[in-house]
Formats: sequence, C-alpha cells, structure tokens
Amino acid sequence: MTQGRKEADKGREIAFRTGRILAGLFVLAIWISASTTGMLPGPAEVLAYLLSMKLEDIVPQVLKTLYNSITGFSLSFLASMVLGLLSHKLSLVKGFSEALSEIFNSTSALVWSLVLVATLGVLSPLPPILVVAAVTLPHVLTATVSALSSADPGLLEAVRSVGAKPSDEFFEVILPSSVPLLASASRVGLGTALRISVVAEAFGSSGGVGYMIIRSYNLADASGVLAWSIVLIALVLGLDQLVLKPLERRAKRWLE
Amino acid sequence: MARVMLDVSSVYKSFSEPVLVDISLHLNGGEVLGVVGPNGCGKTTLLRIMAGLEFPDRGSVRREGKVGIVFQEDRLLPWKTLWENVALGLKYHGMRGEELTKRIREYSSMVGLTDSDLSLHPRKASGGTRRKAALVRALVLEPEILLLDEPFTGLDVKARASLREALKWIWDEYGLSTVIVSHQLEELLPLADRVYVLTPKPARVAEEIDLRGMDLERRLERVKEALLHILSRAGSD
Repeated sequence: MTQGRKEADKGREIAFRTGRILAGLFVLAIWISASTTGMLPGPAEVLAYLLSMKLEDIVPQVLKTLYNSITGFSLSFLASMVLGLLSHKLSLVKGFSEALSEIFNSTSALVWSLVLVATLGVLSPLPPILVVAAVTLPHVLTATVSALSSADPGLLEAVRSVGAKPSDEFFEVILPSSVPLLASASRVGLGTALRISVVAEAFGSSGGVGYMIIRSYNLADASGVLAWSIVLIALVLGLDQLVLKPLERRAKRWLE
Repeated sequence: MARVMLDVSSVYKSFSEPVLVDISLHLNGGEVLGVVGPNGCGKTTLLRIMAGLEFPDRGSVRREGKVGIVFQEDRLLPWKTLWENVALGLKYHGMRGEELTKRIREYSSMVGLTDSDLSLHPRKASGGTRRKAALVRALVLEPEILLLDEPFTGLDVKARASLREALKWIWDEYGLSTVIVSHQLEELLPLADRVYVLTPKPARVAEEIDLRGMDLERRLERVKEALLHILSRAGSD
C-alpha cells in the first residue's frame, strides 16, 4: 500500500470516528434543548438518578430482559432452522414458511403483546418471550432460508466428486456456507429482540427493563423513565459491540 | 494393444442450443490425452460428461475404473485447511487415523506439498499451492482415470512449471490415464501423447493427432495448424 493511500485511509478513519462522536453530541444537544422546556429532566438530573440506583435493583431487571430476549430469539432461531431446512427440501414447507413470515411480519409487537398478555395473563412470564419469538421469526426465517440456499454449487459438486453423500453435502458445505449470513441475521435479530422484549414487558408484571420503564411512567417519574431507557440503550449497545459483533467477525473470518 | 480406459461414443449434448455433436474419442491405459479447441467450444462440458457430472442427450460414455476430476477453479472449502480439504474424500470412504495421514503425505509429497503448506486455509495459500491441493484431493482416492480442466489457468510461470513437473512425476511413477482440457498449448503439448482438436461450438472432433515421436516445436506447429484450419473454415462458413 502506498504512503498516500495509507494517509487517505487514516483520514477517512478519523472522519468516520468524528462522525460517530458528532452523532452522540447531536442526540445530547436535542435532549438538552428538550429539557429546557421543562417537559423532560436534563442529562445531569438523569445521571444523578442513575447514580442513585442500586446495582441490586438494576441487575435482576437487566438479567430478566436478557433472559426474555435470548430465550425468545432462541425459539425463533430454532423454528427458523427447522423450517429453513425443510423448506430446502419441501415446497409445501417453503410456501408455509413464506406465508407465515409475511403474516408475522405484518403484525406489530404491540398487537402480539396485547393478545398474549390477554391470553396468558399479566403475571405470566411467557408473553415477553413469545412476543420476541414472533417478531424476530420472519427476519430470522427469511435469512435462514436464503442462507441455506446460498451454498456455492461448485463446492457442492466438488465434494460430490469425491464421494460426499447428501448428509455430507449439508454438514460440510451448506451449513458452513450459511454461517456468515446466519451470524449477521442473529446479530440484527438479537438487537431487535432486546428492543422488542421491553415492549412486551411493559404490558405484563413479570419484571424486566420494560416493566421498570412503564412503572416509572405510571409513577410520573420522568427521570426514572429516562434512566431505565439509558440502561436499555447501554444493554443493547454493550451486547452488540462486546459480544455479537466479535462473534459475527469470528463467524466470517474465513471470508476475509 | 493398450486397454481403453474411457470410451466416448457419438455423444450429443445441447443446452437450448447444441454444444457437442457426435463426439467420439477414447483414452488408452497410461496415456495422456489432450483436448483442445477454441474458447467456449464445449471442452469443459465434454470433460464433465466424461466425469459423469453431466449426462449426454445421446451417445454413451464407458469408463473402465474410478474417475478423479480437478476443476478449473480450485473449489476448496474456504473454512477448512488444505489438509482437511484433501482428507474429505478419504473420510467419505471411511478412512481415518494413521492410514489417512500416510495416504495424504504420500500424494502431497509427490506434488511437492509439505504439512506446513497443507496447514493453511485456501485464502492464505498461493494459487499454485491451492491447485496442487485440488490435485491431491483427487489423487488420494487413487483414481484410474484423471480428468484435468485447464490445470494451468491462472497460475504464474513458476507455479505452472512446478505443477507440470509434479504431473510428469505422477505419470512416470503411476502411468495414470489422464485427459487434459486446456487452451494453453505450450503447457499441454509437452505432456500429451495424443490430442483431439475440436471445432468451434457446436464442438465436433475436427482431428486426432498422435504427438508421440514429435519434438515440442513440431507438436506446436502441428496443433496450431489444425486449429488455424478449423478457425478459417468456421470463418468462411
């Protein structure tokens, strides 16, 4: 790489990082200007509220939200794998999966939350999990079906030419080929799952960050609403940057 | 008289338009057979039919023994090391442990690949190393017939020379019956015993040339003459 090219790349990297910092400052500026109307507590007030919160109050709610999101996402991932695999072989299942995705994709998280809480009761721990599963299913299923059909026909022919059986083709070529796409879909899906689970938690009484946000709202505690919202944002960003992004990179390392 | 290892008889193949018309050729035991022709004339389709990866619409292919094929692209699984790629076929045939290791080392050393070369993932290996690994993947299954599709394409001069030496060594040692499809005459002709020259699409056999007893210069002259003849005929049609 030439010196000029290196400098240009470095310049682009600095500009990119500056853009990220500016985005954070932009959000902060909007918040500060909104708080001057007296409708919202300012950043300092919310920070003080956050610092006053005890770790033993935060951790169980965060764990509850993580549990709801991960369990719900795992359900949709498992269902997607089963339907994706069967779709690969059976047109009936492919049609079924596509239609199911379309229906689920058109149904909002709010509708799922209300229907499931009304059906299973406000004290049931299941609605947040099932809402996450229902909302993430279409995205994960679509990604799974396309990932499983993305295997290079040349590679399939190459393993067939040295004696691979259909099961070998699946485990040696089709599944590994689909890992990068599935990793990207899982990263997006889990982020979505976290944001969706709080909507469902808000309608039930089984705890979680969503439950704490709506509880603060019902108590007219605006600082509490924003403090718990910041906890949620930190959770989504932390999970994405510290866990999901490195995992996705690892799954894609043979592509680099 | 040498045993016929591969007999292609009156093969016709069409993909919406005819690609191969009335192709008949044969490969004798221990022979290296070249198939040459203009780009896109159907050489690869013919090789795939020989390998049993495509079926002719008419005509027949008779194979006397196991076939190994090396594709034009390396077609190595990128998430596996070269060693794991080479071992795939053996594992599918139930070979494990010491026997597998011994077999891979035997054939990889034959083409000049070390354990260290084979520990690489395809993206980290050079084009020549990848092509040799693809060759070893076919050889470890000990085929009686080897089919090579444009084996020298995309390789630099050094890698081409190294692959050519490896192939020569294998033929001298094992007398493996081989068909090479290539448009690189300078690489193919020093190796081949006989050559079939195909016409432009739809491919027909224009000429069969026995190269034995000819020096390289004469071989090149003779095959180029045949190619120029069919191209000039195609141009005048």
